[in-house]
Formats: sequence, C-alpha cells, structure tokens
Amino acid sequence: MIGREQRTRLGGGDSVIPRRIPLIATIMALVFCVFYARLFQLQLIQSDDLRQRSQRNYVRTIRLEAPRGDILDRMGRVLATTRPAFGVQVVPNDLREPELVFEALGMLIDRAPDSLREQVGTPRGRARFQPVRLAGDLSQDQRGRVESHLYALSGVFTDVRPRRYYVEGALGSHILGYIGEIQRGQLEKRRFADYRAGEVIGQAGVESLLESKLRGRAGGRNVVVDVAGRLLRQIEKIEPKRGGDVVLTLDRDLQRAAEEALMPEVLGERGKIGAVVALDVRTGDVLAMVSKPDYDPNAFAGGIDSETWEALTEDEWRPMQNRAIAGQYPPGSTYKAFVAAAALEEGLVPPGKKIFCPGHFRLGRRTYRCWKRAGHGWVDLHKALVQSCDVFFYETGLALGVDRLAFFARGFNLGRRSQIRLPHEQPGLIPTSAWKERRFSEPWMKGETVSVAIGQGFNLVTPLQLALSYAAIANGGKILRPRLVLRSSDVDGNVTLGPEPEILGTVPVSERHLATVRAALEGVVHEPGGTGGRSRVPGIRVAGKTGTAQVVGLQHTEGIEEDEITFRHRDHAWFAAFAPVETPEIAVAAIVEHGGHGGSAAGPVVQRVLAAYFGDTEDRPEDERIEASAQPARVARVPGGIDVRN
Amino acid sequence: MFGIDRRLVQNFDWMLLGLIALLACMGIVNLYSATTAAGDPLSDEVRRQLFSLGLGTAAALVVAAIDYRHFERLALPAYLVAIGLLVLTLVIAPVTRGSQSWLFGGRFQPSELAKVAIVLAVSRYFLRNPPGETRQLRDLFWPVLIVAAPVGLIVAQRDLGVALLTLLIGGTYFALVRIPWKVWFGIAALGVAALAALWTFGLADYQKERILAVVDPGRDPLASGYQVNQSRIAIGSGGLTGTGYRRGTQTQLRFLPTQHTDFAFSVVAEEWGFLGSSAVLTLYGTLLLWGLVVARSSKDEFGALLAIGVVGCLFWPAALNVAMVLGLAPVIGVPLPLFSYGGSALVTTLALTGVLLNVSMRRYVF
Repeated sequence: MIGREQRTRLGGGDSVIPRRIPLIATIMALVFCVFYARLFQLQLIQSDDLRQRSQRNYVRTIRLEAPRGDILDRMGRVLATTRPAFGVQVVPNDLREPELVFEALGMLIDRAPDSLREQVGTPRGRARFQPVRLAGDLSQDQRGRVESHLYALSGVFTDVRPRRYYVEGALGSHILGYIGEIQRGQLEKRRFADYRAGEVIGQAGVESLLESKLRGRAGGRNVVVDVAGRLLRQIEKIEPKRGGDVVLTLDRDLQRAAEEALMPEVLGERGKIGAVVALDVRTGDVLAMVSKPDYDPNAFAGGIDSETWEALTEDEWRPMQNRAIAGQYPPGSTYKAFVAAAALEEGLVPPGKKIFCPGHFRLGRRTYRCWKRAGHGWVDLHKALVQSCDVFFYETGLALGVDRLAFFARGFNLGRRSQIRLPHEQPGLIPTSAWKERRFSEPWMKGETVSVAIGQGFNLVTPLQLALSYAAIANGGKILRPRLVLRSSDVDGNVTLGPEPEILGTVPVSERHLATVRAALEGVVHEPGGTGGRSRVPGIRVAGKTGTAQVVGLQHTEGIEEDEITFRHRDHAWFAAFAPVETPEIAVAAIVEHGGHGGSAAGPVVQRVLAAYFGDTEDRPEDERIEASAQPARVARVPGGIDVRN
Repeated sequence: MFGIDRRLVQNFDWMLLGLIALLACMGIVNLYSATTAAGDPLSDEVRRQLFSLGLGTAAALVVAAIDYRHFERLALPAYLVAIGLLVLTLVIAPVTRGSQSWLFGGRFQPSELAKVAIVLAVSRYFLRNPPGETRQLRDLFWPVLIVAAPVGLIVAQRDLGVALLTLLIGGTYFALVRIPWKVWFGIAALGVAALAALWTFGLADYQKERILAVVDPGRDPLASGYQVNQSRIAIGSGGLTGTGYRRGTQTQLRFLPTQHTDFAFSVVAEEWGFLGSSAVLTLYGTLLLWGLVVARSSKDEFGALLAIGVVGCLFWPAALNVAMVLGLAPVIGVPLPLFSYGGSALVTTLALTGVLLNVSMRRYVF
C-alpha cells in the first residue's frame, strides 16, 4: 500500500530532520526561559505590589458617618442632637419584578411608583449593582411597613444614617446655625484637609464655630466586592465615634421667652420683626439671642432643597440674617444714657442744673422739636432721662460737641465689634467730624450734632452692642466680651472650659456718675411719667431706656396717625434695660423693627424676658431670693459655669 | 490496516499519554475553580469539558490506532477540503465579533481543520522533496504556497490571531530547510515590511490598542489594558505559593476576564503561585520535548515530519497564550491547549496528540 521508494529511513545519515530537531528544541527552550523569567518577576519580585492592587480590587471601604455631638443649653438641656434616619435602597440588579416592587414600595412609603421607577432608571453594566437610595428619612410608620414586607421585596433593603435634629425647631437658629454638605471651596482649604466630598459640616453659627468639637470620627466597614461591585461579605468594621458636646451659655427657657415675646399676639397675625439680646452683666454670657424672622435649621439636616433655600434667601425680611449682631439701627433715645454719662463726666451738668424745654429747640434758622410738643418745662438730667426730653439732650449734646460725645460712646464700646465668636458681626457707627470729612469730604454741621445727641443721624448700633453697653452701665463700667460657650468636649472626651469671662475695657466714666445714670434709668421704668413703665416686673427693680429709631425723615410721617404710615416707614422701637438695679444680673436689649414707639412696642418684649428670668426666683421664699440675688447662685448652679463676682 | 500488533501495545508511550492526561486533568481541576462558586453543583462548563475530554481521548486512541503512513494519502484531500471550507466560510458565514470564521451555526471553525491540513500537506511535500535539498529561495515556492493559501483566507476572514497561529505552525517546518543566511535575512526584512504594512492598512484600531497595551498596560486601564492589567495582578498576587485553590480573589470575584478560556493560566498562577505556574509550564515543556524525542526516534521521515507538526500545533498556541497572559504579547484570543475551556479545541488537540502516540508506538515496528 505504501510505496517503498517514498519511505525513507530516518536512521540513515542523509536526512536533515534529526539534525534540526535540537534547533527547534533550543528555540522552544528559549521561549520557555522567557516565561519562567517573567513569572519570577511577577510572582516573586512584584508580588507585594500586585497583591496590594488585587486587594484594592476586592476590598472596598464603606464609610460610616459619625453622629455629631449635641449642643446643650447652660442647664444641659438639648438643643441640637443626632437622631437615626431610616432610608430605603434598592439594588437594581436584584429587583426580580421591578414593576410589582415599585408598586408595593410606593404604597409603603407613600410615594408614586412612577417617581420611584424614574429614580432607579435603567442602569446598565456595573451600575446595576450599585444601590440607589430612594428615601432618606422615613417616618416610624413607613419604616415599620417596609421592614415587615422586606421578605417579599427582592433587592430592597433599609439603612440607618445619623441625621441632625434640632429639638426645638427654629429656637436659637441664628446661634445654632445649620449643617450642610462641605462645599468645593471649603474642601480646598487646609483646615478641612481631612474632609471628603459629600461630608456634612457645620455651615453657620455654633455648628460651624465649634465644628472641630462637634464632628465625630467616621468609622468604616471593609467589605469584599466582586467585579460588579456587589457586596459579598464584611471583613472588618470600625465603629464611628460620636462627636463631643457643646454647652452654650444660652438658657433655653429664656431664649424661648424672648422668641415668644416677638411672636404674634393673635394667631395668624404677622409676628414682630426684630431682635432680642439678653446678657449676664457679670460674665458677658449670652443668655438669649433672638432674631426674627428666623428659620428651621432642620430643613438643612438632610440637604436643603433649592425651593426652600430660595424662599429663605430671597425673603425680603431676610430670615437668615442674625439681626442681633448684624442688624445696624440708629439707637434713638437709648443713646441718651451715654450722652448723660458723658455730660456728667465732663462736668457739664452739675447737680441741680436745669434746662427749660419749651417743646422745641432753635439752632440758627432751623427748629428741632421735642417729641412732647407741649414741652417738659424745667428739666434736670434725671427728669430728662426719665421723660426722654429731647431738648435737654440737644443742648447737652451741642455743649459736648460731636467728637467728645463720640469719645464716650466708643468708651462704651459702641461703633466697634463686640468680638463675639459669631460671623457677620457688624461694627455699627459712631460718627466724628473727622469721619465725616473722610467719608463725605464735608465739614461737620452743628445741626448734625443735635441729631446725633438723641441717637438719630449717622449713629448705628447693633442690639448686641446696646445690650453690652447697658451691661457696662449696670456692672460698674466693665466692657465684657460676650461669651457663647461654657464648655465643650471633643470626640475623645477631652473637656475644654469655655473662654474665661473677659473684660475688654472700662468705660471712661466714674462709678459716681454711672450711679446717677442708673438711678435715672430706674426712674424711666418706675417713676410716674417715665417712658418705660411697660417694662415693670413685680418685685424687681428694673432700669432701662426707651428709644425710637427714625426710619425716614419726619417730613414723611408728619401729621399722619401711626396706623396709617406704611409699615416700612414706621420707626423702629428700642428698649434696653438691666435688673435688678441693686445687684444687676441681666441686661436686655430689644428692637422691634417698624414697631413704632420704644416704650409701647419694645418695652413689653423686654418685660417678658425679665419676667421669665426672675420668674423662678419670685416663687421662692423672700430670704432665699435675696440671697440668690446677692450671690450669683444662678451661674454657680450651672455645670461648668464660672462663678464670677465682680 | 487496523491490525493491532502485540508490539504496538508493548511500545505504547505511557509517558506521553500520562503527560497529556495530567495536563488535561489539571485543566479540568482549574476550570472547576474558575467556573463553580462555592456550594454550587458542577458548572456546565466542567460537565461539557469532561464530556469533550472523553470524546477527545477516544479520538486520540482511534488516531493512534491507524498506522500514520496511511495519513499521507489523506493529505491532499484534507487540504483541498480545508481550502474549500475556508472559501465557503468567506462566502456564507455571518460576521460574529468582528470576524467571520464559524460555520454550521457556530459549531465548527474551518481554521481548526486548516491547521491539521497544513501539517499533513507540508509533511507530504517535504517527504517527497527532502528539506535538506533546498538550495535557494525558489525551492521554497510550494511549501510557502501550501501555508500561505489558508493563512491568506483566514486573514480575509479578519481572524488575525488564528491566521498568525496558522502561519507559525506552518512556519515550524521551515526550521528544517537548508537555505543560506542571506535568504533568511531577506525573509526577515520581508516579514518586517509585511508587519509594517499590516499595521498601517490591515489592523483595526482595537487591534492596535491591544498591541500597544502590551508595551504600556497603563495607557487605557479600563479597555484593552484592563485584561492585561488584571491578569498581571492575578499572577503577581499568587506570589510563591499562591492564594490557595479556589481562594484567588481575582478569579473568584471575576476581576480576571475570560478566566476559564484565554486566561486559565492566570488562574493557576494566582491560586497555586509560582510553584504551580512553573510546574504547569514545565509539564508543557516536557510534553513538547517528548514530542521532539518522538520525532527524533521516528522510524521514518514522514513520522518525524508529522510529529514536528504536532509539536508546532501545541507549542505555538501555548506560547502565544502564555505570552499574552504574562503581558508579553497582545491580547489575541488564543486558548491554552489542553488547559483552557473549549470543547472542539480540546477534541482537536487530543486527536493531534493521538498522532504523536501513533508515531511513538510505531518507532520499532514495520
């Protein structure tokens, strides 16, 4: 079958084939040597590096957000805390019957199935394994319903995340601030170097101020994922650590009383617009600080929606602004206390000096009116303050001159930031002739001094400044730095006591003359004919001063009944006070924007704050109450509070 | 012609069969790890591969039983059929995944047959025209044409990986011819020119990307570089002793692409480490050397030529596959013979090793 001639025997020496086989073997061996070398390189030399890269493939760290610390009032009552927020997620790939699941889930969490379907969309590839969060904050009911049906909802699971919760809603919102996702600009800053995109950070108020204390330490879970990103099992877990607590100087009840004082008397009516500041005159502690209108910081807790944000930022009354430190208003007649102190210190009003008030004051060709057209007749300094006689202060102010007046006003720390640790504080303005020259390149006019002497004109103060300067009148002339934080701890539990009470300076007025002013301010509230009678608190000696800040020139409102003046053109109402006169503890300043007269609009606001402050002492037996006011027991009772006797 | 001589049984090459069986079984063990999740029953792939192993073994025994000298008469018809099928494929086969190489509903790849046909045809040619007698380039006209015709048809199907493989297998025989060094240089220059032309005109962008990814795996880590990268990671994380059988994260979590077919060797390297991967490599080397020993000890030239062809059929895909897996060659879809998943490839490879068994057991018999 096989031709013999074709069958060449291999053994004979004529064939080239056997001699070439070693060549082939050598080529193959060389190729294999390259392979061995490469295996050696990858598996023995680069193996550590490649093993790490393998680990980066399959180990994923899931961040566990840490709850923020609580913010408490001075009595340890919770103002801001963290609560669990329950959410629902789905893994699109694991939805066995998407239509049915959306339908059912929609009913369970009160959402339209269509919106759920839209949220999930139709992801492709790896995205199918990435959970989609359908809801972030279920009610207790919704959560219960979802969890009891989980067995039937393939691909659906619930989760828990910490969420900021402001227990009292809008109470103290301007102090507490709010939280929000860290912004791109912040991420670039060095002090936020250890923050990640998407992390929550204090964006305003104490939340931002004490971010380093309140922030917890995030934990994490290391999990094994496959190439699709599907979570397979957990390797390890580091529990997140809750942030430290912050104890504020605020008194929740006092804060609430101050807020309620600005609330509408009748339901449905617009509440008052304005601000209230209450300070401890011995320590500078901010006991209450209210700005109205305000906002509910809870709206920010889960990421604020653009609609709410726009409503807040575009509101003509600017609810986000803290009027207590950023609202600048002419002080009106509350300024007269400082003019009086200056005149006493300069010896311009020796005891017994009287000025006749005919109801108007003439300077050159212009006539300046006293608010009481009939005139006050002969008035001394005491009566001038008690009845807020304008003519007395026109004359006294002219005698002092604008620059001497400014010297004393600045001595009371007006026209200068109080150094409270809150952003956006405004400095106010105390004009001098040099200032006007600089600002307008015009010389100071005497008529302007007349306006300034009764707190109108260029003068601007913030409610906080006014409260501080009245605190200085009360405490014997000490300018205190306002204090917001009593105590704070960080994530590791290290407690830091708040800043010690700090005296920034002393007013350039002797105690003798301050006592004269104090007596007159007490008269404002307690004497017949005083403008501040609406601020009386039973059993407590209150001293204070009314003020009315003109919003537009008199010519616009002359002769019109108050009710008929456009709201925006109505005057601002001031009241600044301290109590008890014999051993002052608290100073309060309140402004009611467009409230009209100080005594009638702002006086009752201060009255309610003082009543709330002294309310509990009133119930106690007389001897204890006296002891309480003699010794600042209120402060000593506070955990971490510092007892300062000045 | 089917007469079974007692001496054939005596001379049966158990060592060769053992090497083949060992590699095929290791392939199945590896396939099990690559395709079957913990707790699951045997995957379909393992079942099918086991079936193909049985079928291939039977084929190998049948091929071994027929005296290889009869194959010479098969050479011409087989070659013509292969050419015919390749032409038919070009005309009627649908284009799948960029190439047009499957017939009969994707069950049969004529290029598989082409390899066998080339081995037979070139063996027959060199039997009649001893390779030692070639003196100049024109003496190589016919063998070059025998190889080039099917390669050209496969290139026309745009299946460049297989075309290259076929070219290399056919080229194995040219190690036997005796031509001057000058001519070798000429061929090399021609080859470089052909490659340059191919790069400029013949390759699609994705193919160029794959080639560039070998030089620089980082250039596009998510596309063409991805497979190379993940393979390198899998191999490297195996270290010396490996992560343990069925405990390779690259494999088990599917970061390694096409791990049961093209990247089966990466699975071995990850789970068994340097020890395992070099052991498999050594087994291959031993098998190939054994094949060359069979060629050397063959009773006649035809047996030697057949054996060299079979060694080429095993060596080139193995070398290309391992080079690709190790990131030394571009990603061309060449499976590792005997090891990778793929039924028809396993049957074909086993049948080819039947030829080696055939030649080996007849080395003393005539």
